[in-house]
Amino acid sequence: MTAVETAPVPIRPGFVTWVRQRLFPNVASGVVTVILTPILVYLGYRAVMFVAVNGRWEVVSRNLTLFMQGTFPRDEQWRIVVQILLLALALGVGASTAGAAAVDRAREAGLPVVKQPLSQVVRRFWPIGLFVLVLLYFASTLTPWLVVAGALAAFGLGNTARFLPSRLRNLGWLLMTLLIVAGFQVVSGTTGRSWVMSAMLVAVGVLVAFPLDGLAPRARLAARAGMALLAAAVVFGIYTLIPLEGIGWDQWSGLFLTLWVSALAIILSFPLGLLLALARRSSLPAIRVLATGYIELIRGVPLITLLFMGQYILPFTLPPGSNLSSISRAIAAMTLFTAAYVAEIVRGGLQSLPTGQNEAAQALGLSASKAMRLIILPQALRAVIPAMVGQFISIFKDSSLLYILAINEFLGVRSLVHAQADFRSIAHAETLVFVAFGYWAFSYSMSKESQRLERRLRVGL
Amino acid sequence: MTSRPSAPAFADATKAKGEAFIEVTDVDKFFGDFQALKDININVGKQEVVVVIGPSGSGKSTLIRCINRLEKHDRGSIVVDGIELSDDIRNIQEVRKETGMVFQQFNLFPHLTVLDNIALAPRQVRRQPKREAEEDAMKLLERVGIPEQARKYPGQLSGGQQQRVAIARSLAMRPKVMLFDEPTSALDPEMIKEVLDVMVELAEGGMTMIVVTHEMGFARAVANRVVFMADGQIVEVGTPEHFFTDPQEDRTKLFLSQIL
Repeated sequence: MTAVETAPVPIRPGFVTWVRQRLFPNVASGVVTVILTPILVYLGYRAVMFVAVNGRWEVVSRNLTLFMQGTFPRDEQWRIVVQILLLALALGVGASTAGAAAVDRAREAGLPVVKQPLSQVVRRFWPIGLFVLVLLYFASTLTPWLVVAGALAAFGLGNTARFLPSRLRNLGWLLMTLLIVAGFQVVSGTTGRSWVMSAMLVAVGVLVAFPLDGLAPRARLAARAGMALLAAAVVFGIYTLIPLEGIGWDQWSGLFLTLWVSALAIILSFPLGLLLALARRSSLPAIRVLATGYIELIRGVPLITLLFMGQYILPFTLPPGSNLSSISRAIAAMTLFTAAYVAEIVRGGLQSLPTGQNEAAQALGLSASKAMRLIILPQALRAVIPAMVGQFISIFKDSSLLYILAINEFLGVRSLVHAQADFRSIAHAETLVFVAFGYWAFSYSMSKESQRLERRLRVGL
Repeated sequence: MTSRPSAPAFADATKAKGEAFIEVTDVDKFFGDFQALKDININVGKQEVVVVIGPSGSGKSTLIRCINRLEKHDRGSIVVDGIELSDDIRNIQEVRKETGMVFQQFNLFPHLTVLDNIALAPRQVRRQPKREAEEDAMKLLERVGIPEQARKYPGQLSGGQQQRVAIARSLAMRPKVMLFDEPTSALDPEMIKEVLDVMVELAEGGMTMIVVTHEMGFARAVANRVVFMADGQIVEVGTPEHFFTDPQEDRTKLFLSQIL
């Protein structure tokens, strides 16, 4: 079916008319045009000259690996490659499972299913796509090309999860969880305490995959607890049987480190912030005072101070013998910091809801916790998506402060580059522009995704 | 505390004819220093329809909001179907399961479809299976005349349709009594009738109802008793005929002359 175009075709004004209407509509605008045009043309000229002619970009192309993975041992690079492939596969499985679930829902509701054209996907991810293209442009070996091609292929392979029958749809989520865990373990290894995090993730995946809706409440609770424990036990067993020595945090660096540190801080701070927001609204004074005190204390201290405290004070507060790496301590500081802000954002969302929503839920006999979980939080969180994502973008960029703790994340890698004899006192601008471009590509993609999520969840409703 | 006035002349009328389903005895309610309810006594019998009228700020809404404990009363007792409302959360939950409430502002859940709005509480509170709850929800939507809206969101519906969904949502919990808090006050005039029609049908089906409203036509048509409140007190109680032909109190006469 094609829609009939009824909108009148706008008449394109001629160039002279356009210039007169847009650039010289009155004297004041004309003056601004006359002053601004040469400045902008000059700046544009300098920018183009810098990027295309004068820039000594070999500083990036010769150090591409350093920017991406920093001082991560070169012999162990295969681990990162495998991780990228596994995560691309996980992303494909997750995306296609979510898509197929949405299609199922639309079918059930009798709504038309619109297939997303490829151009829309490109438009959605163009900042990161551009960044990858720039990386490929700077690539001096075949490896980056192979990794990108492999990742695309893995993503495509993961997309076959959409052919799972609807009944087994939730298995897609479990598969995605397993792939993410595997991707993480390929780098960090299976020895030590690494099984704890994996066991928790896998247990959650299993619970999502098998919701056991049919059972009676008490039996269901018992069955789910048993299932989660079993999953954790299996993970522990596998990790014990296959001890793969890993590359610890302390050897991670470059963009690789920046992405992981930010992702973990974001993922961990969200539930913590949610709990803090609820605690601050609790009717129990002790909990309320503690939460309020925590939030106000953290918000009153600069992140950089917290990062230093994480390095120099946190070790004394932990039991002796627990030697956290400085990166774990930095992640802890970033998480504690962001959680306080997330808490205030969520609280704002909770306060924006009319009291009638809670009253209606109560009048229907919903318990306070169910009213919160099913009625209040979904609406409150939707309302604060823009502010929340803004906070997440902020902590992503602030991960560059780790540089001051002598951790060589994406920005810090520059100091290694410029320690090289060839680039000791030259090409600082080039590396800065490259790093800034990298931060921008990811931040802008996050921002675009948040706008998309807003539209999807119809915040404006 | 000043001494209370002696029992008013209409004391007999505050009693329900048959067995009392809701018993409100000597109830006082304060908001800070402001006394919203003063010594309220009223019983409501099974299958009875009681309409509460009165000027704004007279405590009508507060009274019915006390009956399902959206407001906590400060003195006296409220007993619903033999369960006394106290601070015990289990009692409160039991009473709320038996009472449905319809609000002036509808208070539908905007993030859920119409069908999910209705099926949510039966699934979550009564643990009805999904399919069964949705079938029941569809039947209720047919009863209030809008089955074709099941998959839409509340924001896509007119005010009258939203209020009918709200009624269906309350009925889904199979309540023994329905409380209506000015259900047509936020509606455009042309939509009032479609909501009142549903309420009349409900009353004729034998539902116990307490209705706070300014719709005198509704009161005349279906009310067993009318309660007139002013300044937090029950001023007069009687049959609709009594009210519209022979009101006793000056305040009642004044109010009726203003709205009729």
